[in-house]
Amino acid sequence: MSDALRYEWVRIRTLRSTYWLTGLGIVITAGIAFIIALVTRNDPMTPVIVSNVLLGGGEFATFIPIFMAIMGVLATGHEYRYGIIQPTLTAVPQRSRLLTAKLIVVSAVTLAVVAVSLLINTVIGTVFWGELPDLGLDPLNEVIPGYFVMVLLWAILGVALAQLFRGVPTAIVVLLVTPLIVESLITGLATIPALDWLVPVVKFLPFTAGSRLIATGSFDTGPDGPDFELFDRWVSGGVFAGFIAIILAVAWYRFQTRDA
Amino acid sequence: MITARGLRKRYGATVAVDDLSFEVRPGVVTGFLGPNGAGKSTTMRLMLDLDHGEGEARFDGRRFREIKDPMNEIGAVLEAKAFHPTRTARNHLRMLAAANRIPDSRVDEVLEIVGLSDVKKNKPKGFSLGMAQRLGLAQALLGDPKVLILDEPANGLDPHGIHWLRDVLKSLAAQGRTVFVSSHLLAEMALMADELVVIGRGKMIYNGAMSEFVQTFTKQNVIVRTPSAETFVEALRREGAEVDIRPDGSLLISGLETPAVGELAYREGVMLHELATHSASLEQAFISATGASEEYIARDIAEVLGSAPISDDGPGTNETPRGTA
Repeated sequence: MSDALRYEWVRIRTLRSTYWLTGLGIVITAGIAFIIALVTRNDPMTPVIVSNVLLGGGEFATFIPIFMAIMGVLATGHEYRYGIIQPTLTAVPQRSRLLTAKLIVVSAVTLAVVAVSLLINTVIGTVFWGELPDLGLDPLNEVIPGYFVMVLLWAILGVALAQLFRGVPTAIVVLLVTPLIVESLITGLATIPALDWLVPVVKFLPFTAGSRLIATGSFDTGPDGPDFELFDRWVSGGVFAGFIAIILAVAWYRFQTRDA
Repeated sequence: MITARGLRKRYGATVAVDDLSFEVRPGVVTGFLGPNGAGKSTTMRLMLDLDHGEGEARFDGRRFREIKDPMNEIGAVLEAKAFHPTRTARNHLRMLAAANRIPDSRVDEVLEIVGLSDVKKNKPKGFSLGMAQRLGLAQALLGDPKVLILDEPANGLDPHGIHWLRDVLKSLAAQGRTVFVSSHLLAEMALMADELVVIGRGKMIYNGAMSEFVQTFTKQNVIVRTPSAETFVEALRREGAEVDIRPDGSLLISGLETPAVGELAYREGVMLHELATHSASLEQAFISATGASEEYIARDIAEVLGSAPISDDGPGTNETPRGTA
């Protein structure tokens, strides 16, 4: 296993896109944190404002999850896009070890990036607030760990999708189109009374459920909107994780049984 | 030693590799020949457990996937340009080396061996096919392996590169390594390989020494030029030889060895201006052996255009003069 980990560690460090994706994710998130902290500098330091600054957009913090998912996509997708899977499997013929190593290294880098981003954003916020935020307050005590889990799940999903589709473009399209178009459309349609049979489906939409991991309040559909009766934070996270587990299991099985 | 037993691969109804069994011995270069689509690359992929099929290949008794740090025992390159375009050549090799506990110093060493030291920090997206082949060979040599499996390594190399590759592979084999190399460059294979595995439509056609392959699949003839052709033809036919009179007046004789033809001329008092052995080349033997097993058959251009061929000389023939009598 250590051999596969060494391979993957050198692989990810010798790829320019790794630095672009992690660097841009941290910088853009820090920029958003700075803007929020600046415009709310005279407001009381509520948990929602702290969450918005630390995550760089609160519940709309999407840059680091998407960038880390793309890093995951490249971890497996590049192997097929450039035909590197052949030399890779002649260096590491044990396919499960290789995929496990990719998941471990991508996960480790992702957690490190989230930690660095949170640290930088905390410093930015502290400059305006004049004091460190109390991360033990509800819901910050759950939002911060939820943020780590959510970004980690996005990164793993990227690895799994590119392994399943054996390439980069389809995986990225699925990553972006599913939450931005498919799930938004289903959620929007569910607010139409004639289509209210869609309401119970919404809480099972994986990306919608996953976003609850960093929620600071209830899901707002407006004064006349339906109550989607979403699961709580960790059960919603479980729905997202279950969706990813299914994709990963199929990708893993196909990797084991298909020709390289 | 590589031992392949019962290798078989199907793609739906098509059998790409059909029950192939062969051995590749150390100390010699073994060429892997077959027409396009014969299943050479698929066979190599099966051997390396890259593809799933039936049968097995064992390397000194072990399957490829059972070998720990396999690059230290088996160096394999199946695709010339299997690298990320913006990862430097050195980093590409460092990445693979890391998986097999090979030090970075060895990376620099193999880049020096294949002549890519000057471009080791360049992105390989600008590499020519020849440079990519050199990088591939560097990859195969990383672990100083006992076994080399190379698919078309001469493809894209210039004449100097091909000459260099031939020398490298022959010297590696001379060190006792097992070298298994496919190529469609038959003239190159004739100079490089000692043993052959020849397949057609996934089936084994020949496995053995190169010289025996040429003898088995071709007929050796004798060429004679003489001012007394008519007299000598009668004498030859009396001896049981088959004689064709070629357009240039020379005689193409089969059924008699060259010394026997010379002795007959001496006995009959026939002056010879040329007595030569018409040796078949590997190319002739290959065409003879695999002619019926070509996957994709092109039509003769003369037949298509409706014109006569410019020359009736067969390709790749090699006439060895034996003197005159």
